[in-house]
Amino acid sequence: MPFTATPIVGGDAFDQACRIGQEADRQLALIDDFAGQLACLRRHWDSLAGLGWLAVAVPEEAGGAGGTLSDLAALAGGAGRGGLPLPIASACGVIPHLLADQPELLPGLAEGQHRIAFVPAEAAVDEATDVPRLALDGSLTGAVVGIETPPDPTHLLLVLDGAEPVLLLLPASARGIAARHYLRIDGRLAADWRFTGVAVEPCWILGRGEVVTRRAAEAREIGALLTCVEAVSAAGALLEQTIDYLLNRVQFGVPLASHQALRHRVAEMYVEYENLRGLILQALRAAGAGDGLSWRDIAFAKLRLGEAGRFIAQSAIQCHGGIGMTEALPAIRLARRIMMAEFEFGDRTFHAQRLLNAGRGAA
Amino acid sequence: MAAAIDYEAFRAEVRAFAETRCPPEIRAVVATYRKLSRKVWYPWQRILFEHGWGAPGWPKQYGGTGWDLKQRHIFDEVMAECDCPPQYHHGLRHIGPVILEYGSEEQKQRFLPGILSGEDWWCQGYSEPGAGSDLASLRTMARREGDEYVVEGQKTWTSHAHESDWMYTLVRTSKEAKKQQGISLLLIPLNSPGISIRPIRTIDGWHHVNEVFLDNVRVPVANRVGEEGGGWTYGKFLLERERLGGANVAPALRNLERTRELLARELGGERHELKRAMLEERLLLAEAELRGAQALGQEAIAAVMEGRPLGLLPSVLKLGTSVTFQHVAEVALDAVGERLAPRFRPTDAAGPNADAPGIEWVQNYMYSRVRTIYGGSSEVQKNVIAKQLFGS
Ligand SMILES: Cc1cc2nc3c(=O)[nH]c(=O)nc-3n(C[C@H](O)[C@H](O)[C@H](O)COP(=O)(O)OP(=O)(O)OC[C@H]3O[C@@H](n4cnc5c(N)ncnc54)[C@H](O)[C@@H]3O)c2cc1C
Repeated sequence: MPFTATPIVGGDAFDQACRIGQEADRQLALIDDFAGQLACLRRHWDSLAGLGWLAVAVPEEAGGAGGTLSDLAALAGGAGRGGLPLPIASACGVIPHLLADQPELLPGLAEGQHRIAFVPAEAAVDEATDVPRLALDGSLTGAVVGIETPPDPTHLLLVLDGAEPVLLLLPASARGIAARHYLRIDGRLAADWRFTGVAVEPCWILGRGEVVTRRAAEAREIGALLTCVEAVSAAGALLEQTIDYLLNRVQFGVPLASHQALRHRVAEMYVEYENLRGLILQALRAAGAGDGLSWRDIAFAKLRLGEAGRFIAQSAIQCHGGIGMTEALPAIRLARRIMMAEFEFGDRTFHAQRLLNAGRGAA
Repeated sequence: MAAAIDYEAFRAEVRAFAETRCPPEIRAVVATYRKLSRKVWYPWQRILFEHGWGAPGWPKQYGGTGWDLKQRHIFDEVMAECDCPPQYHHGLRHIGPVILEYGSEEQKQRFLPGILSGEDWWCQGYSEPGAGSDLASLRTMARREGDEYVVEGQKTWTSHAHESDWMYTLVRTSKEAKKQQGISLLLIPLNSPGISIRPIRTIDGWHHVNEVFLDNVRVPVANRVGEEGGGWTYGKFLLERERLGGANVAPALRNLERTRELLARELGGERHELKRAMLEERLLLAEAELRGAQALGQEAIAAVMEGRPLGLLPSVLKLGTSVTFQHVAEVALDAVGERLAPRFRPTDAAGPNADAPGIEWVQNYMYSRVRTIYGGSSEVQKNVIAKQLFGS
């Protein structure tokens, strides 16, 4: 029996997420126009909101399911395996965590009334002067680029750095916000936003100071960890699909799987995959043990995702030959997704820097 | 004996020409990794043609320059250094030399001038869904009917078919003979009834390759090059001619230089200090490899000019340079990835970020993966090398 990947966290939620992911990926591959793509993603977003995904991490007293990180990992893992092109890590993990102190917002969030795009403090900007800033008169100015969004976002949740960090929930329709929406190469929705003197109403400011910094840092760890879960799960599926392709593709009268060069390459992919999986399991276990998130485990996992994820994705493309260079196969769409995941919630040098800084601090 | 060639003077002449005559907008396409299409290539070929440099590799009698191998190498090198497009290869470097070697005089008169002037655009119909590395298993059939062949089958991965006039095509003319011996080489006009072309999108969102379907396409026997059943030999001749392609390391070095400029631009300031140091080291290692390859390339050219055997050099160069090129593309991706990977969209898509400054580095990374797949994949090159090293 050829290899089958073991989920990081299996179960019904994992299976459901995987099924929805496969369906969305299959449908999206057949649509060419942006309006159609958006409608397709919106349909899947609505159905997962209806299934209660957005409520998983919301406490029971606020109308949520009061789930744990492990419940989120089941969703993220299933979504990764199925190739679901929606921002699960943000929507189910990061945003509920950032809003955990907002009892009046949580029920609506759990019910799926809001579709919120998350703009971290380290969001990409084209010019250093674009970093969003809240002026003393309460106006917001700046521009961020390449922000992953849910379909038709109703709000933007921004973390603003500065002398006093601010958590800001901005209605997407507020005056002074210009948006450019598009579909990225991996089938995900993204937007560039420019804020020109947006008059921020006091009630949009959800928090200030130390507590924002702490929550934002925790939220980023959650985002990085769930992204790792999603990507390693995609890598497991990719490994299966690559093996399947090599078993069935015949050249020179024999299946490609009979060539030792390719068998060894797949064996190396597997070793990388297991190693990465080990790190991620470890980070999840540490979190489950109740000591909070272990930033160090997460930093190592994300660092490895950069290395191992890319190796696995590139090897899968190589093993497929010409068809590996196309969008035709789900396997290759997974490979491309894994390549992109590296840049979310801090790339490898971002996490390397954290580890080095801590090492220096300790010495 | 002819007077000795002053290669340095020649190099200077080529450089002066490239710098003054290659239009800046064409060089910009190369420098920013935008797609080279017929629209970009053609005017450049026209300029070269009018200068008498249309076909560096052809004999003078047919409009070539008559340059020796070293001159041709210098020409290619300088072109790359100046961001001039490499000449469109399918006519000039692939089918042209085959026609020169094996075509009839009538075929030479008919096909070579259009290639030389750039009026005719060619593509290569070799690969099929079931025949990639194992090309000899191709199944597209050509049945003889009087003065015509009737061709039935499918080609795939056909680069540029959507903008070409002609496809030089390997077809099976006999099922009885040994796999390789039943293959013939036909020159097929792409506007023939029965041909349909369907685009294939590559992972970087480009339309570069196509599927070409041939449904009872009638091709005059006069469009067959050489003997019936000789196609494999001609195909191999073509590959032999291309074996020195890897000797030109200049494009890879130019790419490395551009990447170094990118690091300086993108990763200034203290915040990026670590990233910049890590990426600069990787670039330096890549540069060392490319310099080694460049030296080997010169060795290869000297060997051919002196009539010595090339041995494994072409495989060594192809294998090594393709991987190093990929490493450099990864360095660039790592430099811009956080800012630009999440904005990357199909290159020909209109709208936001299709032309965001620097976005081409993401595309370049994705497309660079093909380097170890086409033109003899890395696995196939390693098989060739190992077979010779082990003597079996
Ligand atoms: C962008 C692009 C442009 C192209 N342009 C053209 C064109 O213009 N015209 C044209 O005719 N073709 C073209 N090709 C086709 C190209 O030449 C083939 O993709 C290539 O020959 C590999 O064949 P394949 O895709 O069928 O892969 P396969 O042969 O199926 O190979 C799949 C994998 O198996 C490996 N493998 C195969 N055999 C062995 C072995 N014996 N031992 C170990 N490993 C092995 C390969 O290295 C590869 O990793 C193009 C391809 C691409 C992707």
